[in-house]
Amino acid sequence: MIAYFANLATLVAIFGILAVTLNFMVGYAGIFSVAHAVFFGLGAYAGAQIALTVAPDPLLACGVAALIAGVLSLCLALPALRVRGEYFVAASLGLQMVALTLFSEVKSLTGGIGGLTNIPRPRVFGVEVGVLPLALIALGLLLWAIHAMANGSFGRTLKAIRDAESAAEALGKPVAVAKALAVAFACAGAGVAGALFALHMSFVNVESFTLDQSVLVMAMVIVGGTGTLFGPLVGAVLLLSLPSALSFLTFIPPTEVGSVQQIIYGLAMTLLMVFRPAGLLGDQNKGKSHQ
Amino acid sequence: MLFVQLLLGGVQNGALYALTAAGFALIFGATKVFHVAHGSAFTLAGYVFLYGWTHNWNSALSSLAAVAVAVAFGIGMERLVYRPIQRHEGSFFTVFVAAFGVSIVVQNLVGVFAGRGFASIDTPLSNASEVLPELFLADVFWVAIIVALVMFVALTLFLSRTNAGVGLRALAQNPDLLRAYGLSSSRLSMLAFALGSALVAPAAILTAMTTGLNEAVGNHVMLLSMASTIVGGVGSLRGAALAGLLLGVAESVVLVFLETQWASAASFLVLFGFILFKPSGMFGAAVAR
Repeated sequence: MIAYFANLATLVAIFGILAVTLNFMVGYAGIFSVAHAVFFGLGAYAGAQIALTVAPDPLLACGVAALIAGVLSLCLALPALRVRGEYFVAASLGLQMVALTLFSEVKSLTGGIGGLTNIPRPRVFGVEVGVLPLALIALGLLLWAIHAMANGSFGRTLKAIRDAESAAEALGKPVAVAKALAVAFACAGAGVAGALFALHMSFVNVESFTLDQSVLVMAMVIVGGTGTLFGPLVGAVLLLSLPSALSFLTFIPPTEVGSVQQIIYGLAMTLLMVFRPAGLLGDQNKGKSHQ
Repeated sequence: MLFVQLLLGGVQNGALYALTAAGFALIFGATKVFHVAHGSAFTLAGYVFLYGWTHNWNSALSSLAAVAVAVAFGIGMERLVYRPIQRHEGSFFTVFVAAFGVSIVVQNLVGVFAGRGFASIDTPLSNASEVLPELFLADVFWVAIIVALVMFVALTLFLSRTNAGVGLRALAQNPDLLRAYGLSSSRLSMLAFALGSALVAPAAILTAMTTGLNEAVGNHVMLLSMASTIVGGVGSLRGAALAGLLLGVAESVVLVFLETQWASAASFLVLFGFILFKPSGMFGAAVAR
């Protein structure tokens, strides 16, 4: 039972990292990416390869993962600079589909569909450590960084760009740089989550980085409330406990649990958007004033 | 001959993509709603036809039922999801997430009730025969092309000759002016959704006869319709249809050089390239950032 909760807590912390970093892009910078699982995957493969070939040092793995995800986030930043709204969502969907094909086909780096197995447990200075404390530390640091940035000049610049890009540009805000940095920061965070995920599961394959996963992370952000600090965490806890909560409902046949879970979160996304578009923790009056 | 075979297969798929893409483009053009649940109308229509077929309904009745379900789904989405959201906020992302939620629900409901995995039907139409040495064609090829052509001619005539059609084009260009002339934009939006969703039904039925359906087929349809609408140029039905046809052909012909698993990646690379370098698409007006 303790092992079960430790596992759940680790996953919550890892998906919490994904959700808060995606929220930074969506909620503060207004960049609606549905390709977050791509950078999660890049980080996971990078972390796994470091642990397998160099050393199972979690700091090194996370650092390399963050670097690779951050640099490749340019693939997302470029369309973010060119287009907005529906077009950007379409571009990120395209990126997600292409990346998924690459993940399953570049077998020398990712192991293809079979994935990478037997990833060693993380060790710091030769002592084996659990992933849970590492993930909690990373989550705490990221939350602190996001809080600091959101209330600093960078965060205000991002919010200005989100609300009125032309106005922000007219006031001399470095729109392109700010957007690219926001994307790089969020994707690097997803990379760290990926490295931790690989170390925790000691197995990664392409199944964890699909469009469904991107949408799941997006649902966490949306359910909790975009643009709030803790909303995405609440969303992560809720959506990750859903499967275990459903397993207590014995009248659902075990083969259908997955579908029922998907139906519930699909319905939750739709109903929330219709009735409570700012999410559970969001400010419900925001955005109504201009009508 | 392999190349010609793949090309013809691509044309057949492309004709069906063109239909779904035109539906998506019609809805997006007229109502500015990015109808991500468009693929769900396809899935529902396909499975209703499948249900009718396996229960020995008359095929005309099954087809009518498929069209009716697609239209009802489109109108239902407009009334129950998009309209309430646009009334209170109307951010495009809210609409996107709500529609995505619906498509997840539809995909899983279909999985629960109709079973997972591929389902297809065998008709005399889908039996291929050798028309030239090493070149196989089923009658369904001609059916797909004729159906697509007939639908386009009918749609073009409707949009140019009837009052409602002209109203739809007016709604796409200037909704405020439309209201000033006393036309109901809400009724025209419903019409756009009804027509756009009706266009997917024949594509869904023909797909059930050829490659088969699975519960997740809607995702692929949605992504391709969206890609075609953008590549073709938003606001241009003809562009979307042509891009759908081209993506279908490209997906198939690329198999000459690459293995199957790269096919869809190829079309999304095309989409990605268009968004980066020519976001207005092939026939669209320039887009503001």
